[in-house]
Amino acid sequence: MNTTKWNFRRNVVFQLFVLPALIGYLIFYIYPLIQTAIYSFTNYSMYHPNMKWIGIDNYIRLFKDDTVIIGIKNTVIYALLMTLLQNALAIPLAIALNRPLKSRNGLRLVFFAPAVLSPLVVGFLWSYLMSSSDYGLINQGLRAIGLNNVNWLGNPKLALYSILLTQVWQWTGYAMIIYLANLQGISKDYYEAASIDGAKAWTVFSKITLPLLLPSISFNTVMAMIGGLKVFDVIFSMTGGGPGHSTETIVMTLINKGITESQFGYGSAFAVVFSFMIMIVAFVQLKVLNKWEAKLF
Amino acid sequence: MKTLDSYKKTDFILEALLVILAIGMVIPIYYLLITTFKSSSEATLHPLWLPADWKFSGYADAWKAMNYPRVFLNNLFITVSSVLGVLLFASLAAYSFARRQTRLNNLTFYFILIGVTIPFQVATIPLFRLIRNLGLIDNPLSVIFIYIFTLISFNIFLIKNFMNTVPIELEESASIDGCGVAGTFFRITLPLLLPVIATVAILNTLTTWNDFFTPLLFLQSREKGVILLEVYRNIGKFAVDWTAFFPMMVLGIAPLLLFYVFMQRFIISGIVTGAVKG
Repeated sequence: MNTTKWNFRRNVVFQLFVLPALIGYLIFYIYPLIQTAIYSFTNYSMYHPNMKWIGIDNYIRLFKDDTVIIGIKNTVIYALLMTLLQNALAIPLAIALNRPLKSRNGLRLVFFAPAVLSPLVVGFLWSYLMSSSDYGLINQGLRAIGLNNVNWLGNPKLALYSILLTQVWQWTGYAMIIYLANLQGISKDYYEAASIDGAKAWTVFSKITLPLLLPSISFNTVMAMIGGLKVFDVIFSMTGGGPGHSTETIVMTLINKGITESQFGYGSAFAVVFSFMIMIVAFVQLKVLNKWEAKLF
Repeated sequence: MKTLDSYKKTDFILEALLVILAIGMVIPIYYLLITTFKSSSEATLHPLWLPADWKFSGYADAWKAMNYPRVFLNNLFITVSSVLGVLLFASLAAYSFARRQTRLNNLTFYFILIGVTIPFQVATIPLFRLIRNLGLIDNPLSVIFIYIFTLISFNIFLIKNFMNTVPIELEESASIDGCGVAGTFFRITLPLLLPVIATVAILNTLTTWNDFFTPLLFLQSREKGVILLEVYRNIGKFAVDWTAFFPMMVLGIAPLLLFYVFMQRFIISGIVTGAVKG
């Protein structure tokens, strides 16, 4: 057999293996992404079907548009708090479950369970639970112990945090599972040595556990952050962005401007800003975490 | 070792606290299930009690109103096709990236990784036009293609990382024996990838089954819709009897909840593997 010809054929086959993925990726991801960038510099909309180049006008308009600013503000608050709360709760929970408890497996199953539910349905369910009507379970409970009703979703100052609460309920177990796996991979020798040295619990946590959890902290916080910035379903079902614009988020505003109102160019400019936001946030987060890691070791 | 790992008195308190917390976390789900068997007046009066007399008609009505068998099959078709598609295309590409580190291949790999960082929602507007121009609006293929090719980046990344841990010697001896690239891949490598394939299948099943955004945009007729669209469309139709909506929510989450109950160990280990390798 001619080896060069054979090798050439093998290389061709190897390249062919990439093709289906690459072609689909180009058509359904890269091409629309590039178009978004192009649209963002045009006045393209239902009223201007023949798009005209208008430079950065859309971008200037964005920063004067109150609904856009509110959407960004809500989303950033939501994503930051989500990341913080979810991980601040998941780490102690994982450490607790790492003890040889009798009900460990059962508890693990229960804490994780909400993560398999659809956020849309979770949103609907919690909007019943938080309702101010007679049947609202949470307010019934508050009244039973002599407190006043709380208008969880109707109060514009509170609604975003009420939604956040449901998502902490839903996703903390998910993060916990990942922390737990990481904990189980940590060698017992470290703890053995610490206990011989008579180290205090807090010292053990901050000097051993936390640094060794860094890989999963990176993963979980970046995922929580990106998930938070993309939040849509749960808000759609709980408040639809209201009351007023108090719970409107980026993806929601994007759909409103870009599809419902058919302002394709303007919506695209917002999308471009959004994608830069995500990239910057993820980049900064990983940099900070790496620095933290470098300082510790 | 024993002192650290054995059950201590403080662990008993810890366990008691965790069990209380777990019960608290389950209450919403318990409430959802139990309310489906009650009339609205009973549900308002005694929200957490077991029903005095069990009412099953709610499920029959919800089943009919949602056209459940139809939307369930639509969901199943979309999820199975997307997961199989991602598995096939991603593992083929990952194989090439892992085993042929030519400059072109490496560049392509990094180019595909862009898909991990920028969410496809950014490209929704042109994507919507593209799907319309392809005549795929209201066709499950639209959703399937979008799932496959927007999830593929992360999956290629995951499978390639795993493949780096699979010993190459077996493949080499197969190719010396005259086995072609495709033959080696399907007969030797693919079986060794089973753990990561299980992970990928589980992660993608959870993501695609529960996705609401994509079907909302691209599947517009009720005939072609998925379960969550029916849940969404039916809310508000039962203004008088609010409990009528609860069986629909249960039918909305039941498939994945059952999947979880039966596959919990695989699901949890799948998610962990995805996080550790990813």
